[in-house]
Amino acid sequence: MKPRRRRNAVNVPVASMGDIAFLLIIFFMVCSNFIKESSIRLQPPRAADLRALKETPVTVSISAEGEIFLQGQRVPDAQAIEWGVAALIKDKATPEGRTVVFKCDQKMGKEVFEPVLDSIAKAGALVAAMGEETQ
Amino acid sequence: MPAKNRKQRPSAGYIPVDSFSDLAFLLIIFFILVTSLQKQSGFVTDIPSGQKSEAQPEKTTSITIRDDRISLNDQFLDVFQLRAKLQEMNLPARKAQEEKIVLLEAVGGVHYQTYFEVMAAISSAGGVIAIVKEDQGPKK
Repeated sequence: MKPRRRRNAVNVPVASMGDIAFLLIIFFMVCSNFIKESSIRLQPPRAADLRALKETPVTVSISAEGEIFLQGQRVPDAQAIEWGVAALIKDKATPEGRTVVFKCDQKMGKEVFEPVLDSIAKAGALVAAMGEETQ
Repeated sequence: MPAKNRKQRPSAGYIPVDSFSDLAFLLIIFFILVTSLQKQSGFVTDIPSGQKSEAQPEKTTSITIRDDRISLNDQFLDVFQLRAKLQEMNLPARKAQEEKIVLLEAVGGVHYQTYFEVMAAISSAGGVIAIVKEDQGPKK
C-alpha cells in the first residue's frame, strides 16, 4: 500500500489585485465624462460630413417631447435659453468657451427648434449642432 | 505559567486588505457603467443674429426648406445635389463675409432632420448660415 501524499493547499497570490484594481479606477476616473443629461430622451439627426466635437461646458437640448433643457435643467421657453446662455458664456473670451452644444430630436418641428437656435445666436454663442455621422 | 493566564498579543501591524480588491472592482464596475466613450460629432457654426434686412446682396445664396423639400435659389434638390452645388460655389474663396452667407428659411412643416442635413451641408461647404424666420404677418 502506497503512503498517501498530503496535498498542499493552493495559495493564489491576490495581494497585488487591489493595486491593479485601483490603477484601473484611476484610469476610469481620469477618462470619465459623466452623463449629465441621461434622462433626456432624443434621437439625434444623421448627416454626412460631420466632425468630432470637443467637450463644451454649455449644452442645450430639445427632447422628443419638445421640452427644452439648458444644462440638463428644463426651461420654459426659448427666451430663457437666451438669458441662460448669455449668463453662462459672459466671461468666456475664446470661441471654445462660447460654443454651445445643441442637441435636438430629429423629428422635432421648426416651431420648437428654430426659436431656440435663434436664441443661442442672440446670446452671442457659437452653435455646435450634434448629430450622428451616416456611413 | 498556565496557558490561560497568558495574555494574547495582537499580531504586529497587520492591516486586513483582502476585501480591498472587491471594493476596487465594485468601483471599476461603477465607472464602466457611467463612462461615456462615445465621441460627439457634428459641426460648429456661427449663426449671425440681427434684424431682418430688406436689401440683400444679389450674390446671396438662399435655401428654402418647404415641408422637408429643399430648394436652392428656387430650384428643388435633394441633400446630395445640394451638397454638390454648394461645393461648386466655392464659398471659402469669396472675399467678403457677406458673400459667404447662405440664407436658410424653413416654411411649413419642417423636421430637424432635414434642417440639420442642410446646415451640415452649408457648414462643410464653408458657408455662413443665416436663419430667415418665416413672416408672422402683421401684428393686430
